[in-house]
Amino acid sequence: MKRKGDGCKRAMIRLVGVGKGQDIKTALFCILLALVAGSILLLFLGKNPLLAYKSILQGAGFFPKARYAGHRSMLTDFMSLLNYTTPMVFASLSVAIALRCGLFNICVSGMMIASGFIATVLLGYSALPAALARPLVVLVGLASGAAIGALIGWLKYKYNTNEVVVAIMFNYIISYVVSFFIQTKFVDPTTRQSLKIGQNARLTLFDQPVGNLKMEIPLVLPLAVVCVLLLSFLFSKARLGFELKAVGMNRKASRYAGISVGRTMVTSMVISGALAGLAGVSYYMGCFASIQPKVLPSLGFDAIAVALLGNSTPWGCFFASLLVMTISNGTTYMASTLGVLREIASLITGILLLFSACGAFLKGEADRFAEELEEERIAAVKGGRA
Amino acid sequence: MNSIVVDGMAFSLPLFIIAIGGIYSEGSGITNLALEGFLGFGAFSGGLAVALLGGAMPPGTSMYLAFLMAAVGGMVFAMLHAVLCIHFKANQVISGVVMNVLSSALTAFLANQINASVFGKASNKFMLEVSPRITISGLSRIPVLGGFFTSVYPFEFIVIVVALIMGYILYRTPTGMRIRSCGDNPQAVDAAGGNVARIRFGAVMVSGALAGLGGMCFAYSISTNFSPSIYAGFGYLSIAAMIFGNWRILPTFFACILFGFARSGGYYLVTKLELPSSYSDLVLTLPYVTTLVLLIFFSRSNRAPRALGEIYDKGKR
Repeated sequence: MKRKGDGCKRAMIRLVGVGKGQDIKTALFCILLALVAGSILLLFLGKNPLLAYKSILQGAGFFPKARYAGHRSMLTDFMSLLNYTTPMVFASLSVAIALRCGLFNICVSGMMIASGFIATVLLGYSALPAALARPLVVLVGLASGAAIGALIGWLKYKYNTNEVVVAIMFNYIISYVVSFFIQTKFVDPTTRQSLKIGQNARLTLFDQPVGNLKMEIPLVLPLAVVCVLLLSFLFSKARLGFELKAVGMNRKASRYAGISVGRTMVTSMVISGALAGLAGVSYYMGCFASIQPKVLPSLGFDAIAVALLGNSTPWGCFFASLLVMTISNGTTYMASTLGVLREIASLITGILLLFSACGAFLKGEADRFAEELEEERIAAVKGGRA
Repeated sequence: MNSIVVDGMAFSLPLFIIAIGGIYSEGSGITNLALEGFLGFGAFSGGLAVALLGGAMPPGTSMYLAFLMAAVGGMVFAMLHAVLCIHFKANQVISGVVMNVLSSALTAFLANQINASVFGKASNKFMLEVSPRITISGLSRIPVLGGFFTSVYPFEFIVIVVALIMGYILYRTPTGMRIRSCGDNPQAVDAAGGNVARIRFGAVMVSGALAGLGGMCFAYSISTNFSPSIYAGFGYLSIAAMIFGNWRILPTFFACILFGFARSGGYYLVTKLELPSSYSDLVLTLPYVTTLVLLIFFSRSNRAPRALGEIYDKGKR
């Protein structure tokens, strides 16, 4: 009775999983596929993939390097990774909550610039004490992001404008307007970027002495974790989370069930915008201290794919952000030790995202295989009886 | 005054051809946010072909090779989107975004790698020949309209010819009818004996070819090289033009013209009023602001293809 394909099917079911835990297993399987594809690429370039992956981990602070400069160690590398991961966590959560409601927030980049710029102008050059300035920066970021989100949601609700197009338009308008103000008022003539903000408003402490090390301390990372926890609660326990999901799945059914579809969509865009705003201030006033005019941060677009890799769940987004930033952060070290081009980081990330886009298909296939095997088993049992 | 028309047309027409690509793909029911990636990959392929073979060709002809290879490159890359959306049943919006990320990563990597290993230089650019500009002597002296015949890029003629052919195919032939039906009612196409998956696959490939062509035009008109700066959002802008044009070719043409002329008019204004160059940033927002305002007025009557973004399921009623 046993056919040749059964072994393949069993392997697929084991790798991708069926039922509980399928999401995590699928994500891991996609990561595995991407690593295999990346290895082939590296072999093609004549490099040892194992060595390459090891040096990525070394660069990201998961694995000790051969030697370190003064005041640096594995811990400082890891803290640096966390520092760059923080805005990505906010940004991917921002995309995830909009996706939950069936909306596609492609405006994360624009919201990041807007909130980063507004907070920079209002507080970055002020002489407020750090204890006051930093919380205010967070609040301003939150508010300005939420305002843009509200506007996009309201336009969608009131005028039925396509939120993707509106978001794209906002991206460019914001980028150009901010660039105009930077170049006329706040430009640093040597770097051609906006003037550096003061240390009192910065959300990351750089070169902070801890023991004999000097490390980066991202002050808003705890806030990112809190956001993850809050969103987990919202999605699993709160009424609003359920309404978001219902509207995302079927707008008409939600309306018949008495959910105010318009209000729910606007709410989700407001939360999404607020999170994007946090991403903006933690990026432009944490990881960096100035804004480059006319450049939309690619982080805002990558966040869409990261949210997808994390299956739009809060913890998924958190770990997916960590993974993607590990690759991009660790590659600088790999590039220098192995002599590979730095661009390979985004390429490996791209391949990873490509495979994760096929995740739903893999899940479907695994379920189908499981069903087929089950049917065969039943048929075999029946055959045995007869 | 002529400069408004000249620059406006040089910007609008590539945008238009990319948008037609979008109409083909979305008209067949496959959401296409990947135009940005397609146009970049197309421009990369064209640039690569010129870098490899352009030296052996008589001067002035490498441009046509570039356009041909750009279309082929865009088409090949689009097949990835098609496979993901049609065979792997991926979410089409997400697949589109992934294509854009992948395209910019891949072209940046390949351009660096090929420049380093084949030509032995550290650069992420492929240089192109400067495109000739054609001025038709009699017609260019007509007041106002003369601008349409002054310093025209050769690609503008290519775009117009290709656009006419694509328009004819989409609205006047059985193939076009099938493509459009796939976007509105794929079940009906299936019942009539058409192969939905194959038609959609073809439509996405066409969109890749057209976007690649458009990307190459931008590479010639804006920078005369291929570099990662080609990813400047023209793909997204043409998506906006397409939606604004209600997924139909003629209204989309006017939307593209509007974008191009708003942009060139703004630049003209900056130079005319002798404003500092930083004011051009404000002017550059004009096409986007116009779109936004017009969208607010016209969105109520907007009608996307009915089956847009849905994975085709034979059993669905």
